[in-house]
Amino acid sequence: MLLDLHTHSIKSDDGRAKVENYCQWIKAKNIPIDGFVLTEHRQFDAESGYSDLAEKFGLTILKASEVETEYGHVLVYGVTEALTQAFDFASIKLSLEMVLEVSEAHGAVAVPCHPGRPRVGMFAHTEELGIPKGVKIVEIYNGGSRDKEDQIAIDNAQALGYLGIGGSDSHIVSHIGRCATRFDEKIENIDDLVTALKTGKFEAVTLKESV
Amino acid sequence: MDQDIETLRDEYLNQDFDEKSFDIDPDTTIEYARLCGETANRFLDKNDPDFQASPTFIASLSGGRSLPKGFPRFGIGMDAGKGVECFSPIKPGQAILGRTHLHDIYTKTGRSGRMVFTVSRIEFFDQAGTHLANADSRIVMREKAK
Amino acid sequence: MSISSISEVEFGVDLPVFEPDTSLETASKFATLVGWGGARFTDHEAARKEGLPGAMVPGILSQGYLVAMIHNWAPSAEVKSIDTVFRAAVIADEKHQITGVVTDINEDDKLVEIDITVANEKGETRVFGTASVQIP
Repeated sequence: MLLDLHTHSIKSDDGRAKVENYCQWIKAKNIPIDGFVLTEHRQFDAESGYSDLAEKFGLTILKASEVETEYGHVLVYGVTEALTQAFDFASIKLSLEMVLEVSEAHGAVAVPCHPGRPRVGMFAHTEELGIPKGVKIVEIYNGGSRDKEDQIAIDNAQALGYLGIGGSDSHIVSHIGRCATRFDEKIENIDDLVTALKTGKFEAVTLKESV
Repeated sequence: MDQDIETLRDEYLNQDFDEKSFDIDPDTTIEYARLCGETANRFLDKNDPDFQASPTFIASLSGGRSLPKGFPRFGIGMDAGKGVECFSPIKPGQAILGRTHLHDIYTKTGRSGRMVFTVSRIEFFDQAGTHLANADSRIVMREKAK
Repeated sequence: MSISSISEVEFGVDLPVFEPDTSLETASKFATLVGWGGARFTDHEAARKEGLPGAMVPGILSQGYLVAMIHNWAPSAEVKSIDTVFRAAVIADEKHQITGVVTDINEDDKLVEIDITVANEKGETRVFGTASVQIP
């Protein structure tokens, strides 16, 4: 099963895509993914429900978050109300180690994204700040990567023994599905996703050439 | 959201801080359209019955100020994006009025500190007071590390 | 294919690719026309001294290219809104390609949503956004 683990909708300040249009696009263009995870910037969108769209289009649509730390941006899967109370998702000065630790304590999984990117990627900061404790997974394929950003992520992840996921980081409809993550098990809800991430049964894939 | 940004939002959002009249010169709008690659006569020919400025022309118009008086300068401003909403065509040869307010203020992370984004909106009106268009300008200021 | 009616528009269709004139001469003329005659738009060397990779195409010119592409595809289209995010500089004298694709059709209001991007030769997105256009 292929899921795009990093997408943004109009709920994000720089997102320009409506969720329904993502669904239409995936079907109309035969994008080979079975669903996607909405990772809105600096928030958890608790209010929006996409179960009707998921059923109509036969897709898995899940919700997560992208928060900001001193090491750059971090995806958080398995967000609960209690987790949203544990730290300020809107802050841009979070501690990565705190996000990793608190997420784990609440049963969630935190994953630094586009880690090979200048400024907002983890590996841009490790020389200055050191290797953060607690990282197990990083995003190694990102649909918005430029130059060697993905290769930097892959090389560093390999050197440090991290697992890798993939996501398109789409902000407009036509960019969804450029990268994704393949799971052995079927993912139907956020608990399935968190379990699969914790067990490590997944692999990052890039579909940039085909999508 | 950081407290200082909350305070700025409370103090500055949605209050007009600039008003300026713009004479829309036909030769300028024609050259603008030509450089953009427009080929339609309604943008290039003064004698076309539907002669009008290219829809994004208003994004090139700057008010007297880009930020309200007293608004803090976090760093050098860079153009982060533009948005235009068109309600009626802008007809060259007329004067239009632009009123500016801050539509949004928010932050994101940067390696060397915060990046503060402001969205200034100019609302354009014709001489009869008809709301013709809005132009949003997103400016990012990279704050120096303290 | 030139579009004259919304009934001819199909979901997911690509607009004809548009190769804009991103020459320094055009960028410079445009910047001067709109009163932005700074060195960053008119002179590669001076722009490099400012820490840029070269002279840039003004952001609003990129936006103008996007609208011109839409008008080339559907000459009678009225752009109701366009919103662009400038992700990275469009460098003058470098080849860029503009693409557009239909991502929503509202036949009742005759509105079409288009995803628009400006990408360089490496395929890196420099500008992206959406436009909403009304087609008779």
